Order: sequence, then C-alpha cells, then structure tokens
Amino acid sequence: MGQVRVKSISSDDLMKRIGSENTKVIDIRPVEAYNGWALENEKRGGHIKSAKSLPFKWSKYIDWIEIVRSKNIKPEDTLIIYGYDTDSIMKIAEQFYKTGFNNVLVYKGYKNEWSVNDKYPMEKMERYTQLVSPKWLKGLLENGTASNYDNNKFVICHAHYQNKKAYDDGHIPGAISVDTNSLENPETWNRRSPEELKLALENYGITHGTTVILYGRFSYPNNNDPFPGSSAGHLGAMRCAFIMLYAGVKDVRLLNGGLQSWLDEGYNISTEETIPKAAKEFGVTIPLNPYFAVDLEEAQKILKDKNRNLVCVRSRDEFIGKVSGYNYIEKKGRIPGAVFADCGSDAYHMENYRNLDHTAKEYHEIEKQWAEAGITRNKFNAFYCGTGWRGSEAFFNAWLLGWPKIAVYDGGWFEWSNNNLPFETGEPE
Amino acid sequence: MTINEIQNKIIEEFSDLNDGFDKYQYIVNLGKSLEPLKEKYKTEEYLINGCQSNAWLKTEILDNKIFFSADSDSLIIKGIISLLLRVVNNQSPADILNNELYFIERTGLSSNLSPARGNGLFTMINQIRTFAENCY
Repeated sequence: MGQVRVKSISSDDLMKRIGSENTKVIDIRPVEAYNGWALENEKRGGHIKSAKSLPFKWSKYIDWIEIVRSKNIKPEDTLIIYGYDTDSIMKIAEQFYKTGFNNVLVYKGYKNEWSVNDKYPMEKMERYTQLVSPKWLKGLLENGTASNYDNNKFVICHAHYQNKKAYDDGHIPGAISVDTNSLENPETWNRRSPEELKLALENYGITHGTTVILYGRFSYPNNNDPFPGSSAGHLGAMRCAFIMLYAGVKDVRLLNGGLQSWLDEGYNISTEETIPKAAKEFGVTIPLNPYFAVDLEEAQKILKDKNRNLVCVRSRDEFIGKVSGYNYIEKKGRIPGAVFADCGSDAYHMENYRNLDHTAKEYHEIEKQWAEAGITRNKFNAFYCGTGWRGSEAFFNAWLLGWPKIAVYDGGWFEWSNNNLPFETGEPE
Repeated sequence: MTINEIQNKIIEEFSDLNDGFDKYQYIVNLGKSLEPLKEKYKTEEYLINGCQSNAWLKTEILDNKIFFSADSDSLIIKGIISLLLRVVNNQSPADILNNELYFIERTGLSSNLSPARGNGLFTMINQIRTFAENCY
C-alpha cells in the first residue's frame, strides 16, 4: 500500500461527517470498548456516535471481508477508521484498500481529543458493565478487584445442559459447574419453583449480593443429536442469567463470547473441579423480579394488547411451521399474532444475535433488526422461543440495552402447542 | 495421488499466498470452479447441519472408492468444500479414516477462519468420516 493514499481527518471534520450518507465510521477497538468500557482509562467510555464496531481481532480471519459485507459496509462508502493505536488503524486501512475500498480516512485523535471533549458526541450501551471481557475476568481472578466491580464476592459459572464433560474438559480456573437442569424443570423446561431456585442458588454459593459471571462452551450443536442443547453451552448461560435476574441476583454478568473468547485470548483453562461453597441464605424472597417472567395466561393477554409484543425468537423454518425445531416437540407452527425476531439457523444457533466469534452482535444492529419488526424500547416485549433459551438470550440483550419493560414468556412454543391452542403455519400475511 | 500427496500440494500452494485476503480470494476462486450439485440433491437429506450457510453433501461409494459432491450458497464455503473434496474424493474409506487431515492446520485454515465458519468446516469433516466409517 502507498501510505500517501491514507489521509487523516481532524476531530472537527469528523464531527461534521457524522450521520452523512455513505460515510461509515469504523471502530476497531475491542467490542467491550465500543460497548462502554474505558479500557485505556480514556475520559469517556463508549464509541463515536454512529460508529460501527469492527474489532482489530477479526482482521486475522480469512473471511474478514464477509464480516465487513454483513455490516453493510460497501466499497462506495467513505470509511473513517479509528482505534487506540496508529499501527492497528493503518493496518486496517491497508486491509480495506486491498479489498477494494478506495475512500479510506483515518482518525487518530480518539483518545486524546474526542473522548476528553464533551462537545464530541459518544454513545454507549446502558448496561455495558454486565457484559465483560476475558481480560476483565482474568484481572478479577488474579487480583480480586476489577474496574466497575464494587463487591467482595463473586462466583464464575460454567453453564451446560447435562454435559459435565464440557466443564471437565476445561473451564475457566475457579469456575463452578452449573447444569441448567438445576435452575429449570426438565419436564416443562420452565424456571424451577422459588423454593427449588433458592436451594440451588444457595448450593452454588450464590446470594442476592453475589456477583455472578456466566459463560458456556459452544461445541457445534447438531440438530440431529439426541441432546443438541448439550453443545450449546453459551446459550445455556443466557438461560441461567435470565433465571438469576428473575430470582434476584443483583449483579449478573456474562462473559462476552463465552469460553471461546477466553480461549481466543490464549488464557489457560483448568480441568480441576471447583466445588462450590454453599451460602447460608439467599437473602431476599425469590422471585425478587417476578415481572421478568410471563406465563401462558399473561402471554394470551399480551397478544390482545397493541402496546405489548409477544416476540418469537425462533428460526424462520420454525416460524412458518416447516419444522418444530426440537426432537421432543411434535407440533409445527407459530403463535398467532407473535412478532418474529429471527434467531438464525435453528433452535440451537443465534447467528442473528451474535458475531462470528460468538460475542454479542453490535447492539445498534440488534436494535435495528428489532425496530424493523416493531420491537421497540417503548413497548412491553415478552421474548419466547421453544423452551426459553433463545428467548432468554434476546431478553438479556434487551436488558443490556436498559429496556425497561421486558420479560421472557417461559413456556414458549412447547407449552403453547401442548395446550392445543390455535396456531398458524406458512408465511404470514 | 495419495491423500498426503494432495495435502502437501495444497500446503505448498498456500505458502505462496501472502495474507488472509489472498487466501480468501484463492478459496473463493476454488468455490467458483466447484461443479454445482444438481438442484434435486439440495434437500434436507443432504444438508450439512451446523453450517452457518446452507451446504449440501452427497456421498456414494463405487469399487471401494468414495465419491463426494457438494455445494453451498456461500462462495467461501464452496471454496472450502472444494479444497476438502480435492483431498478425500476418489479415496478408499480406509485411507480417509487412517490419514489425518493436517492440511487444515498447516494452511492456517483452522486458526484463521472465524469460529462460526470453522464450525462448518469441522462438521463437514465429521460427516465425511462418518460416511467412510459406515462403508468400512
């Protein structure tokens, strides 16, 4: 690349270009920085207003250009690249040139000019502190302290569904094994009773005041396996996160990207089991946040209310009734009146909510795809799927966004279809 | 050519490629030259599960040699399929099962594909090995 082609842009010129058509501001810092963490002690965390997240880490992927395309970044756009360090900014600019982007500008003033000056607009995800990076978690493990952590007790949970092997094969040092069956009933697949949840959480050493960090191992779920959920550990972690929030754990956090992101950093895993030290008393009455869960009767009322959405977080093939999605659900179809928020390929994948490395998709992109379906912050949204895992991941995303009126319809298609209620198939009108 | 001779040839070809984008273009070009699978085989029966994009794999055995044909609606997946089939097509079940597919690591494919696409690649390999096992 001839470096002469790369022009720098000033803070004020960048400010003028924000929001202009065909200009894309590209943030190459880690996703956590984009979401709100001040990773290099910059004055304000978050990202330049309207910027898109394209972390430098992804540039090593052979299929990087496909990620670029999936973010609607086009060769005819003018790109403005920014990050923490000039070397990385220039490398990404070079990569864009090589792949046919000719209008590339670089912005080097993010840390010293933009983030320190309140006149320059920034955005961040409301609950960014609840989506943590491997680096943050490693620091907490090693030092017992970390930024945005004001507590003296934490529990790391490696979530899985009946797959202790996923934990035994290697987990984050100090993490305990959490089987989703301990928190949800394996007959109804709904959250367990308050008494059962109290006992399970206390046995895990978790109280109302504990900081809980959840993650799982994604190990290639195959819909033809007898128990595909066993390989969708990070989705199981989302389910546990929802149930813990419902129960009343005050500080629930998720390791962004699950075990994959820990491994991507090159951090060690352990095969030594950590036995939880039981807590004496959870500390508050479970459920502290009952409104986070909605059951069948309420779901039926939501369908009649124009200010409330029952949001179907299933795949298109499930939504149109081509497949049920599960080897233990016979009926195929959808709840009439449900709003569709496509999860991705099947009941054990969440491609429309995750990046290719399993980190959470850029939150603006999730908001945009939801808005197109009529799922917006000002409405009440109850997310559901087959039995609650994918609904929980969508719920968790909405919770991170700080949406005030959200819930999981716990029974989902499993409960609805078992009650012989009306259903629809085919493409909706 | 034996499986390992083909693998070594692929590794050599990759060593001439400078960076990730060159590898990407090489793989995509391979995908463009992959003979398309007949539409009648692009069904649920031949679908490769766990692949980010739709991909189909058809297998048959003739005179103790396995013949694969495959397709995808993604060019990069087609390219990866093309590489994989170059190694395993027209080989015996025993040869497929007894040889490690080391070209995937040595070409950097395993570490330089995004995890979701890597998932698809390993699913395909598992499916090929399962078919070979069933023929063995």
